[in-house]
Amino acid sequence: MKAVALFLPELYFLLMALVLFFCSLRRQTEPSKDFRLFLAMSAGGILVGALSLFQQGSLFFASYQVDLFSQVFKLALAGGVFLVALICHRLPGVEDRFHAEFYLFLTTCTVGMMMLVSAVELLTIYISLELASYSLYILIPMRQGDGIDVEAGVKYLFIGAVSSCFMLFGLSYLFGATHSTYLVDILPKMPALLASPVGLLGLILSLAGFFFKLSLFPIHFWAPDVYQGGANQLVAYIATASKVAAVAILLRFAALGSSYGYSFAQILVFLSIVSMTLGNLVAIIQKDFKRMLAYSSIAHAGYILMGVLTLSESGYTSVIYYAVAYLIMNFTCFMVLSEVADDGRDLQIAEFAGLYHRSPLLALALMMGLFSLAGVPPSIGFTGKLLIFTSAMNQGYFWLVLIGAVNGTISLYYYLRVVYAAYFMDPGDLPKVVPSPAIRWTTYALILIIIGFGVFPMHVVDLARTAVKFVLYT
Amino acid sequence: MYNNLQTFLLLAALLFAIGLYGVLARRSLIAVLISVELMLNAASINFMAFNRFLIPEPAVGQIITLFIMAVAAAEAAIALSIIIAVYRKLKSINVEHVNELRG
Repeated sequence: MKAVALFLPELYFLLMALVLFFCSLRRQTEPSKDFRLFLAMSAGGILVGALSLFQQGSLFFASYQVDLFSQVFKLALAGGVFLVALICHRLPGVEDRFHAEFYLFLTTCTVGMMMLVSAVELLTIYISLELASYSLYILIPMRQGDGIDVEAGVKYLFIGAVSSCFMLFGLSYLFGATHSTYLVDILPKMPALLASPVGLLGLILSLAGFFFKLSLFPIHFWAPDVYQGGANQLVAYIATASKVAAVAILLRFAALGSSYGYSFAQILVFLSIVSMTLGNLVAIIQKDFKRMLAYSSIAHAGYILMGVLTLSESGYTSVIYYAVAYLIMNFTCFMVLSEVADDGRDLQIAEFAGLYHRSPLLALALMMGLFSLAGVPPSIGFTGKLLIFTSAMNQGYFWLVLIGAVNGTISLYYYLRVVYAAYFMDPGDLPKVVPSPAIRWTTYALILIIIGFGVFPMHVVDLARTAVKFVLYT
Repeated sequence: MYNNLQTFLLLAALLFAIGLYGVLARRSLIAVLISVELMLNAASINFMAFNRFLIPEPAVGQIITLFIMAVAAAEAAIALSIIIAVYRKLKSINVEHVNELRG
């Protein structure tokens, strides 16, 4: 019985997948029924996630660790799925008869990610990562379109497959060098591997799989194509929930390198700098809103890595805070995108022109989301960046923080360009946007969270700090 | 010569490199898929070799390899179905024709 309680969130989402599977077998297509079911069940998912927040224990021969760290991320994932469910009410990018399948694979992907954040054994990590990835491989080509959807799907598939090969190859070296597949057993043996390149090579190659999920340099180049080619609601999911899970497992795994000190951190510093600079510079020239957000996500992966590479408690705390903040603020942008693009098309930045006159509320939400991404106070994104930069500074990464700050300024330019379009450009004959009541209330809630947790971050930070104690074994 | 660890590690590294070269150089999506399978098998060989020569517990590496085979089969199924979708929409499975998105 205890085991069931520990495994409850995963079991709930598995059940949800089963129900949605039977929905997908229906002969008549009833998209609105499927949507209501998906929305209700994902709301229940938040409840289950909140109920099992303080569970602790281990399952399946200790290959599966349930602790506050994993449960916080599971709750965030359940929240992410619910938010994505909220904007699926039209889902114009996907054919009606595939809606149930679309929800089904979103759910299986969530199950995979929930298992990923709890996995503490190499094979478990690999299997759950692949469960999450394969669902996404199928989801991307589901969009109706003139070929860019399958192109994005095929690119995502092969880049994902190759990066998971790299990961598996790295894992095999870790396995060979430490004679174990459990992270707890591997950790004490890592310092001894310091002298041999096999340990470092194994660790760096193993991280490749997570770098792919996080769209970090050098495995970032799928992001713009997939963001543009995928359905808007799906991309919202990839950009929020999927990133959060990647951050969780990256934190768990990078803790292995904490005894490495210099050479390991140096490699991550390099990746972080290249990732944020490249992302921000290329984002400036983008005209498609989703492509711009893709490059901004590459830049944000760099910021997140900055917190990870400190390998300290404060750094890890700030990364958890930032991951949750990133989920909220990025989702806000995607919600506005999917509301404005009511027929599921890709949106050019110019199409936001005069959004203030077409829907003042959505314009405000867009501004809050983008300011938060840029790190303008008093938003949640500013607090997150502040925490990350402070912890990196305390570890003596002065130059890294300086480059990060310069990058923050560069990013302000392209975020402001969108805000400028929304507030000061002439709407012309672009139609009005009328959000449904559910979306309106969600927008109020999101704006409140962005400001509220930006000004009063204490509770979330405290929770994150307690959670970090379970992963940083030092 | 075949009864030591180095031989198998070299073989695996070679196979991995061949697979990576195939992914980067081949133009047909099917050939790219085959190259990805080569890379997965290289990792499998590594697991088996480490298991055989270094680790007293006999089953771990073999179980991992079995899992990799199953996962690779699922991956091949998904990849082939997406390749069919590509062929239906673009009438080609050449990588160079799947290149609309850029910028």
